[in-house]
Amino acid sequence: MNIRIFRIHSKLIELVWPKEISHDILHEQLQVRSFFENEYAEGIREIRMGFNTVSLKLRIEISEEDCGDILEEINQLPKIIGTFASKIWKIPVCYCAELGRDLEKLSQIHDISIEEIKKLHSETIYTLHFYGFLPGFMYLGGLDQKLYTPRKKTPDRSMPRGTVAIGGQQTGIYPAESPGGWHAIGQCPVRLFDISKERPVIPAVGDKIKFEPITREVFEDIQQLSRQGLYSWHHD
Amino acid sequence: MIKTPAYIHFIQPGLLSSIQDLGRFGMAVYGVPYSGVMDRFSMTQANYLLQNQFFDSVLEMGGPGAKMVFELATRVVFVGADADIYWNEKPVKAGKILEIQEDDLIHIRKFRKGQWLYMGIQGGFESEIVAESRSWYPDITPQSKIEKSDSVCYLSEERFYPALSSHAKMNLNWFKHGEIKVYKGPEWDQLPKLTQNRIMKKSFTISTLVNRMAYQLEETIENEVEPILTAPVYPGTVQLTPNGNLIILMRDAQVTGGYPRILHVENNSLNILSQKRPGDKINFSI
Repeated sequence: MNIRIFRIHSKLIELVWPKEISHDILHEQLQVRSFFENEYAEGIREIRMGFNTVSLKLRIEISEEDCGDILEEINQLPKIIGTFASKIWKIPVCYCAELGRDLEKLSQIHDISIEEIKKLHSETIYTLHFYGFLPGFMYLGGLDQKLYTPRKKTPDRSMPRGTVAIGGQQTGIYPAESPGGWHAIGQCPVRLFDISKERPVIPAVGDKIKFEPITREVFEDIQQLSRQGLYSWHHD
Repeated sequence: MIKTPAYIHFIQPGLLSSIQDLGRFGMAVYGVPYSGVMDRFSMTQANYLLQNQFFDSVLEMGGPGAKMVFELATRVVFVGADADIYWNEKPVKAGKILEIQEDDLIHIRKFRKGQWLYMGIQGGFESEIVAESRSWYPDITPQSKIEKSDSVCYLSEERFYPALSSHAKMNLNWFKHGEIKVYKGPEWDQLPKLTQNRIMKKSFTISTLVNRMAYQLEETIENEVEPILTAPVYPGTVQLTPNGNLIILMRDAQVTGGYPRILHVENNSLNILSQKRPGDKINFSI
C-alpha cells in the first residue's frame, strides 16, 4: 500500500494515502481498519476515517519506531483481489422546485435542464466514505462531473433537515437543520440519524447509496412513516 | 441515605450555560462531536472538592448573568473563571463549598478573568444520559443550552460528615500564562520554514470568535498551503484557512474538516487556552 504514517503525539497517529478520492483507497482503508480492530483492539480508543486518512486515537503510548513497525505489518497484509461486499441502499429524494430551491439556478449555471440534473444525480451509485460534519452526515464519492458546482460564497442560514445538496465535487444530505453553503436540489423524507439507537445510522462505511426520485405525495407519506418509526430502509 | 429529586430554577440563564461532563466518546465515527467541559482541570477540581465521582456532570457558564434558585438543600462549589459570585446577595469565593438551603439564590455577576465558570454540585446533575454522556449538544440531547426559566434536576441528599475542605485555597492564576504547548499537525511540514518560524515566534490574540466549537485568532498567516481532502480533526487541532486565519478547534468541534491541520494543542494547554478571552495573548511552543 502506498501509505505513510504521521505521529501527532504518543497517543494520536494518522495513516495517509495519496490525495485522491477512490474506491481502491477506501478498500485499503477498510482493510487497515479491520487489521487494527482484529490485532490491536485493546490499545485503540477510536478509529476515524477521512477520504485518504485513517486516524487512530490510542489508549497506549506509541513511539516513532513502533509506527515504523506497524507500517511494515500493514505492508505485509495480503493484497485484496476483487471487491468488498457492500450493500446498495436506496434513499428516496423528492427533486421538486419547492424542496430543491437551487435547482433552477443550478440548471442555469450548467445550462442543462432540471430533468437532466435529476437524472444525473439519481442514476449514479455513490460510495459512503465516512461520516462527518454533522451527526449522520455521509461523505459520498462519485458525483457526476457535470454537476460539480462551487459552494456558495455566503452559506444559507438554514438548510432544512433532509436537504439533498451539491457543493464542490460532493453531494450529501443534511441529517439535521443546519446552516450550509451547498446548493439544495431536493429533500429526503427519511430520518438519517437517531441517537436513541445503539447504531444511530443505517449505511455502513464502504456501502453504496442510490437516490430514488419520488413525487411530493410519496415524500409526505414516507416522511410520516419515518416519523412514526415505521419506515424500513431498502437495499439491493 | 435518602435522595430526593430537586430542581434548580434559572431566573436568568447567563451566557452559554450548559450541563457538561467529560464528553461523549465512541460516536465520532457517526459524526457526533465529543463535547464535554471546555476546561477539564476546573471540572476535576470541582468534583474533587465535593468528593464526587470524577466524571459527574457540572454546570458550565461562558459569561455573567446566571441567576438560579435551589429547591432543596445541597452542596455546590464554583471553580474556573474568576467571577463575582453572590450567594443570597453576599459575595462568596471560588473553591468554597456552599451549604445551599431550600430557596437559596445564586447570582453570577462580573467575570474578571477567564472564560468558563463551573458549578459543581453534590452528586452531579441528573440531566438525561444520551450515548453514555450528559454533555449537552444540539440535536443529541434534548437541550443545548440553558434558557430563561429552565429547570435542571439534581438529587438532594442528607450528608452528615463535613466536606473535604470547606475553604480550599484556589489558585486563579494557573491559566494566566500565554504559552500554549503544541505538537506538529499532519500538514505542518507543508509550510515553508519561514512561515513555520513566524508562527512559533509570533504572539497571537484571541479574537471575538470564541465558542464551544472553536477559538479563532486575530492575526493572519499568509500561506499557499494546498487544501486537503476532508480528514479527521479533534479538539486541539489548529487549522489554517486559505485566508490565513488560525482556528483552534475546541470540545464541540466537528469530527472532520477540510482545512490544513498545522498544529495540535497538548491536553493541558487546551484547558489553559479554553480560559483565554478575546483580546488575551498566546504564543505556541513545540
